[in-house]
Amino acid sequence: MIFLKRQLPLAITFVMGVVFALQYYIPHPVSEEAITKVSDWMKIISGFALVLGIASVFHVHAVKIRRQAPGWGYSGVLFAAIVITMGVGFWSGGESKADGAQTAFGWLYDYTMVPLQGTMFSILAFFIASAAYRAFRARSPEASVLLVSAVVVMMGRVPLGQFLAPWTWDVTQWLLNVLNSAVRRAILIGVSMGSVGLSLKIILGKERSYLGGGKDQ
Amino acid sequence: MKGALKDFARRMIAIDRRIIFLLIAAATLLPLLNPFGLPIKVSPEVKAVYDYMDALPERSVFLLSFDFDPSSKPELEPQAVALLRHAFRKNLRVIAMTHWITGTGLADGVVAQVAAETGKERGKDYVFLGWAPGGYALIISMGQDLYKAFPSDYSKTPTLGMPVLEGVRNLRDVNYMVSLAAGGAGIEMWYVFGKDKYRFEMAGGATGVIAPGLYPFLRSGQINGLIGGLQGAAEYETLIGRKGMAVAGMDAQSATHFVIIVLVVLCNVFYFTLRGDKGKPV
Amino acid sequence: MPEQLIPTSAVLGAWVATGLTLFIYSFLYKDNPLFKLGEHLYVGVSIGYSVVLVWYTVFFRLLWEPLKKGIAEHPAALGTYEPVIPALLGMLILTQFFPKVSWLSRIAFAFIVGFGSGVAIPRTVSSYILKQIEDTVTPLITMGANGLSMGLNLALPQSGINTIILLIGVVSVLFYFFFSVEHTGPGMVTARTGIYFLMIAFGAAFGYTVMSRMSLLIGRFRDLITFAGAEYGYATPVLLLVTVLSLAAWEFATRRKAGGK
Repeated sequence: MIFLKRQLPLAITFVMGVVFALQYYIPHPVSEEAITKVSDWMKIISGFALVLGIASVFHVHAVKIRRQAPGWGYSGVLFAAIVITMGVGFWSGGESKADGAQTAFGWLYDYTMVPLQGTMFSILAFFIASAAYRAFRARSPEASVLLVSAVVVMMGRVPLGQFLAPWTWDVTQWLLNVLNSAVRRAILIGVSMGSVGLSLKIILGKERSYLGGGKDQ
Repeated sequence: MKGALKDFARRMIAIDRRIIFLLIAAATLLPLLNPFGLPIKVSPEVKAVYDYMDALPERSVFLLSFDFDPSSKPELEPQAVALLRHAFRKNLRVIAMTHWITGTGLADGVVAQVAAETGKERGKDYVFLGWAPGGYALIISMGQDLYKAFPSDYSKTPTLGMPVLEGVRNLRDVNYMVSLAAGGAGIEMWYVFGKDKYRFEMAGGATGVIAPGLYPFLRSGQINGLIGGLQGAAEYETLIGRKGMAVAGMDAQSATHFVIIVLVVLCNVFYFTLRGDKGKPV
Repeated sequence: MPEQLIPTSAVLGAWVATGLTLFIYSFLYKDNPLFKLGEHLYVGVSIGYSVVLVWYTVFFRLLWEPLKKGIAEHPAALGTYEPVIPALLGMLILTQFFPKVSWLSRIAFAFIVGFGSGVAIPRTVSSYILKQIEDTVTPLITMGANGLSMGLNLALPQSGINTIILLIGVVSVLFYFFFSVEHTGPGMVTARTGIYFLMIAFGAAFGYTVMSRMSLLIGRFRDLITFAGAEYGYATPVLLLVTVLSLAAWEFATRRKAGGK
């Protein structure tokens, strides 16, 4: 049983990892066919993984309703929204348009989901302004450099800034293409080396957190 | 006098944040109602995308991946509209798709809207493949065999035999690709799992949040161009000679940036005014 | 010229969209029931939409239709039943809900994680490491029609002077994050150079983030302005008034309740 619960998954990870790492360097038709098939399978498996994520949200709110925890009424609203959207979606055959006309599912998407999602993220604009006013202070030389760089970029990336101070455009371009690129490149190289190391640890069985824990891990 | 100044600075630092919210709202609303229309300067990275698209022969295959959802709509939809208008004007064959499940309806709407205004026909001039799961696995699948990755398009029409996909077997047959991305599942993923092996040329359209992180790829030539945020969309609209949502929004963008700059400057003026005050919190 | 009539569904949709937008913006006053309602609706509709799309895309388009077609055309061929393999692996993931057999999901996760790690290694090395290093160590001096020269034009990103600055930036930032070596002496100078490069990049990132967030706000306000028109029944001003009055009533009721206690 330990073999099935621990050794088998580790063996599968090892074989899959090594085979598909080497596949990149082998242009043989059998190798290409293998990656074609398995990547097609991954699409289907990812769909099932999405179901897992969705079911977790269901579970959290179901518990809240059952226990009548504070705010459980809103969980009821959430469930009602899920059920209604699913009902409308299946009734419309999953289509946003039928014969050129908008379906109920398309209406729901355009007039509830798009404004809700758009507004949720746009509200950050207010908080970024408030945070900038309260916290963006030149307390040290480093903070001053950050401040000056931010102000130059904010001016250089809008027409009014380019009109009032044309040099901010050129400086912004230089900042982004040279100084910013250098930093991002260094971070990219560092993070990538870390992720390659982590991938190797997973393949070699040193990193087992993806197995989900338990004393037989 | 000095005491009064410090008191004023202390009161201003502690101002109710809802006043700042009102200032931002006003800075956004007023220019939208009364635009002042300043010229838009075009950056080399946006011009690179335009020049490459403009040089493509008719019926070349252009793949546009809508890797965003409604939360990034104001920034990336104008980019999508401008790119599609350019592609349809050049009579390119457009293949559109998305990696973001909640962006599917939005992408379909944009493609259909621009196609209708340019008189293009679904299946003959363009196809919207829709969404499929898998992320990087989907890109690999498309790179190996497009018809296995998407057996049918978003309207459930079989992709095999579609006139717009004639001669297109996989990503190697794509002439140019642009990923409009709002996060991780986007431009970098397309490069790493797509262009690196299947060798199509590609560019990126990104939100302002992720755009700075893509400059290393632009420098190294891994992407040939980059359209960054609403400003980038406005630049592209200027290049195609058709002003749209992006140009219309740039005045409000200018106003809000200036409000933020003034707020930051004021914050620092008040901070330095109070800095000499030992023992009193700033 | 006759006005273009807007369909009733679009007018109704405009009122719903405006109402929901203002509910979310009511958070700017303070956390309140209208915002909570909008927030939970957002999550609910997103999940419902995702479920429908997953059903039609994964189970119908990628599983059921290829199987149905294959069984109809080549019922005896083994390849026809190939979609069953990922379907079985997918179902193993769902055993997570049943504690007694949840260990079976490890097989599916091993498959996914193994494949993902394997394909990522060579591609990450090629795209993120080798290609980036290649661009960092480009030649400073080039041979042109006038002989050897080094570009000193700051405006050209690929010029020699910018390549030197880029190299200094990359090395100093990489060194700054190398905490196994003490940052003293020349190391301290390198690390401090890295910090200043980082501050400039973070400043640029902040500037771009401000631009991005303001763009999102501009987009929403544009819709609110559109829906304020007569053709949409003045949805925005009416619903703005309703929202403000509702918030005022709620604030009054809350203070009264708090005062009563």
